[in-house]
Amino acid sequence: MTEEEVSIVKVRNVLLVTIPSSPSDRTIDNLQDSILTGMKNVNPEGVILDISLVNIVDSFFARTIEETSEMISLMGGRTVIAGMQPAVAVTAMELGLNFGNVETALNVEKALDVLSGPGTEESSDQGEEVR
Amino acid sequence: MNPGPDATTLNGKMEIKSDTDVVDIRSKVRDLCNRIGFSLPETTRVVTATSELARNIIEFAGTGEVRWKILENDSASAPQEETVGIELTFEDDGPGIEDLEWAMQDGTSTGNGLGKGLPGAKKLMDEMEVESGPGSGTRITLKKWSVGK
Repeated sequence: MTEEEVSIVKVRNVLLVTIPSSPSDRTIDNLQDSILTGMKNVNPEGVILDISLVNIVDSFFARTIEETSEMISLMGGRTVIAGMQPAVAVTAMELGLNFGNVETALNVEKALDVLSGPGTEESSDQGEEVR
Repeated sequence: MNPGPDATTLNGKMEIKSDTDVVDIRSKVRDLCNRIGFSLPETTRVVTATSELARNIIEFAGTGEVRWKILENDSASAPQEETVGIELTFEDDGPGIEDLEWAMQDGTSTGNGLGKGLPGAKKLMDEMEVESGPGSGTRITLKKWSVGK
């Protein structure tokens, strides 16, 4: 995955969105559109935002994630942020960044459990490309 | 093992005119912080502050410049011996900040952000100096010190 490439795949009945390490503002804006389109086309239970690669979270990123999760909620889905790096969590807290009511999980596996219940080995190994 | 920063990388500058430049300056600053031995949390604070202020340049002035300077042990302003630091200057010829006291308040925003830009950068760094006024552009200087590795 290149620095700016976002991947969106369907895993079980959720959209798994993987965000690159240092996304530009445009990438984050485009991400919002892609996720909402994915919600409509795929009809998932919810969205997992995998931010385990992300090494910088600033106010614009946090605000857009919060907005996006509210839009997902309006469409009838749930959002879980997964895998925030420790240094990012420290900085986010010091900055007072507020992701609204977005649920969080330690990693993607736990986030999948939150959204679709504990799965079996076979059902969780491969994603289906939706974009 | 660590050769330390050489003279050619101690100072530099980068033009900021698009959101990809914001990504580039984050990467540059991360590289500099790594090179002078900042810890990962320290580096993340500096990179985050850089991101906020570089975005302010794009948002309020359109274009501007970021300059960096590595502050070495012998720097007169270092708070203690064995300290390394980084100084970052964000400068633009934009409209300037009309009411600095207001702009420094938490939750204040006139643009696209959460209003965390200026107060956020101040919280994450050790020192911040703002020179600005209506019509005279903005220059913000940040400093962060570390005991290094």
